[in-house]
Amino acid sequence: MNERQVSECPVPPAPARRVGPLTRTDFVRYAGAGGDFNPIHHDETFARAAGYPSVFGHGLLTAGVLGGYAAAWLGRRNLRGLSVRYVDQVWPGDVLVLGGEVLASEAVADGTEVRVSLTVHSEARGRDPRLVLSGGATATYPASGGERA
Amino acid sequence: MADRDLIGHEYPSYSFPVEYGKVREFALAVKDEDPVHHDVEAARAAGYPHLPVPPTFSAVTSHWAVRGGLDVLGLDLRRVLAGGAEWEYLGDIVVGDVLTVRSRIADVLSKQGGRGPMTLVVTEHTFVNQRQETVLRLRSTVIELGER
Repeated sequence: MNERQVSECPVPPAPARRVGPLTRTDFVRYAGAGGDFNPIHHDETFARAAGYPSVFGHGLLTAGVLGGYAAAWLGRRNLRGLSVRYVDQVWPGDVLVLGGEVLASEAVADGTEVRVSLTVHSEARGRDPRLVLSGGATATYPASGGERA
Repeated sequence: MADRDLIGHEYPSYSFPVEYGKVREFALAVKDEDPVHHDVEAARAAGYPHLPVPPTFSAVTSHWAVRGGLDVLGLDLRRVLAGGAEWEYLGDIVVGDVLTVRSRIADVLSKQGGRGPMTLVVTEHTFVNQRQETVLRLRSTVIELGER
């Protein structure tokens, strides 16, 4: 990380956010909203037959929660890119713990471009926190500062 | 099991309207509390003509994509996992827009993973609005684990 560049960074440190515990109802609600009805996310019998201990959350549910977090942190209108890689399952009862870190802040033609890393960990009673998603985002800020008009 | 012959395969394109109720429902489902996704007055105060969509709203295309589209991959749902996704935001998407989606299979890869052989299928989606502006690009990766 380049200290000089980061000191000029137009974004604040990433806020702390915890979401959950997530329930089977949250998974069903996301299935309806998004339209992904793979039964592995809502049908316990199907999930067990496929070798899982229970149903688990859609990757895009975790990504959706992270998208809102990234937009709130970086500025909805500044967000230019978001990427996610699913690392592990989110089980019923898990609490999502969202975080991020500025990787680079660079001057571009008409302002500043900021790249950040993003992570989602899952916490549950009696288990160590696990990384469930790793990702990143890009945001741009006009030279005048703040969000674009 | 998907194979490399599918690279370049184009799905039938389709259009869908960005609907008020769907934007609110989706924002609630992903626990996005930004009032611009729930309240038209808040959206207008922020300079949008109507509710803007949350960053991963492209997922709702599952309700619209031409039925049978994924069948070309022949995936076994018991062995399928989402791998990841990348969104590139090129313009605002708000309630009232009509988006046309074009999707093609960009890559099919075989890999050796922790749970044995797996196949990765990368699909690229382009979203064009009613003014012919490309407002969103999405690359998504689906993983099919090997037979147990």
